[in-house]
Amino acid sequence: MRKEPEPSRREFLGRGGMLLLGTALWDANGSDSRAATPLVAGQQGGIPVIDCHAHAGIARLSGTKDDLTDPWNAVADPETILQHAQEAGINQTVIFPIYNTTYEKANEEIAEICGRHPGRFIAFADHSPATEAGRIRSLMLRECHDLGVRGIGEMEEEPNAELLDAAKELKFPVLIHPPQERVAPFYDFVPTNPDVNFIVAHLGSSGSEDFDEHLAAISLAKCYPNVYLDTSNVVLTRYLKMAIEELGPEKILFGSDEPESDCRLEIFKIRNLKLPKDHEEMILGGNILRLLGSSKRTA
Amino acid sequence: MVIDCNAAVGEGECWEPKRRAVNYSPDVLLKDSADAGIQRSCIMPARNKSYRERNREIGRICEKYPEKFIGFAAHNPQAETGALRQMLIEEVKTVGLKAVRSDGHPTRELLDTVAELNIPVMYYPLLGVAEPAAGPGTAGPETYSGPARAYYVMAGLYPSVNFILPHLGSYRSDEWWAHLEAIELATRLPNVYVETSGVLGHKYLEMAIREIPAGKILFGSNAPEEDPLVEMYAIKLLKLPQPQEAAILGGNIRKLLA
Repeated sequence: MRKEPEPSRREFLGRGGMLLLGTALWDANGSDSRAATPLVAGQQGGIPVIDCHAHAGIARLSGTKDDLTDPWNAVADPETILQHAQEAGINQTVIFPIYNTTYEKANEEIAEICGRHPGRFIAFADHSPATEAGRIRSLMLRECHDLGVRGIGEMEEEPNAELLDAAKELKFPVLIHPPQERVAPFYDFVPTNPDVNFIVAHLGSSGSEDFDEHLAAISLAKCYPNVYLDTSNVVLTRYLKMAIEELGPEKILFGSDEPESDCRLEIFKIRNLKLPKDHEEMILGGNILRLLGSSKRTA
Repeated sequence: MVIDCNAAVGEGECWEPKRRAVNYSPDVLLKDSADAGIQRSCIMPARNKSYRERNREIGRICEKYPEKFIGFAAHNPQAETGALRQMLIEEVKTVGLKAVRSDGHPTRELLDTVAELNIPVMYYPLLGVAEPAAGPGTAGPETYSGPARAYYVMAGLYPSVNFILPHLGSYRSDEWWAHLEAIELATRLPNVYVETSGVLGHKYLEMAIREIPAGKILFGSNAPEEDPLVEMYAIKLLKLPQPQEAAILGGNIRKLLA
């Protein structure tokens, strides 16, 4: 019997990831550590090196056909991130969930991981407008004030008004994987939300799979002051160089996409550009620090 | 000696799943490779509809830089059927090319010829574009379903031919399970080697190092699409014992081409 090929990561993301079937949750591991995520200073009190894009925790996709099919539908181990980050000289890592049907438990798990490793992680929550509409604002308020969450990421679908209004209220940056692997959908919500800072993941194209989307992301960030690009998973590094040249270093944020990618290699791609020290510092930490500095977290 | 076994030079289309027009300069490759500590690069043409002229150009470039480049031919076994054998014999025996990259599933004509010439074949089994393009420049990436099916029969039938599977079986690690197929192929079949460029999931390179004999892994950069410095750093990050690293960075491809 012929076996249907597994979906590629791109195909999986393209059809909305976990927004598929069923709502059953595996609710073990739910926690409520009320962990704050303090920002730390870098070496010699300078600007810390911060990875703005990593995943941690377990997937809760029971009842969907994607449950446990791929690493990103199963588990992301924070210990791997810590080990690689230490070796790479990364002071702090922004972590958010992998795929879940709904995100309340996953976000609690993120906060719990941050609490277990004080000063090493910064918590972002994820939410799905498709499965959580109507509850997102109240969840975000709680996650901000009780769990120490500092932003939203990595969304795989277009954010709805409820999420964007709450992000504006809490001054949360919102990190989004290009919906259906295209940058164009950002034009549906960026122009109407000038007070929300958006981070386009993967410089617009995970794995540089479609280099045209790198160009589209650069154009988007050029048009809107509230759009930033993260560097995770960029294979064609000439587009990193192009983005920095065309946008200036203040619009680019270092990210790795740990643990599927390796932050040791991802940070080398930035250091290898041999930028002026102050530009490199902005990309490796200063910019995300600035975006996080405005969030309304209460410790 | 550090040898990059996968680089391209000249005009055509890139070898990646999403095609685009390219014109790769040998001078840029020389500079980028030197920066990465690469002493020699195996160069092949960019993708083309036919390869006779492109392979000759590779020969001329290698003649110009004999200490820097080793020439690989490329052929499309389907588009060049019937003429391929004669061309490849000439390219190896007269022009001095040392291996062939197959742009399409290798045929008996190609494999019989490489067996006779005792040269390796590099092949990444892309499956073509699934949907017709809506117009010029709109074609999506070619589909890919891993190397296992493409390699088992072919490599088993031609045990005297050495095969080089690029990208540890999955360019940019998009099909992560294809890395596992590549590891299985290189472990099981004595004539299948894997090349290291474009592996986004570094943990799969670490897995390959643990599971595949070091003699079966070849360093490649896929330059100039990718930066040789980054590809070299991916190998350095493996922190291998010196003899193992030296084999991967050059010793193994040297043996294959000897």
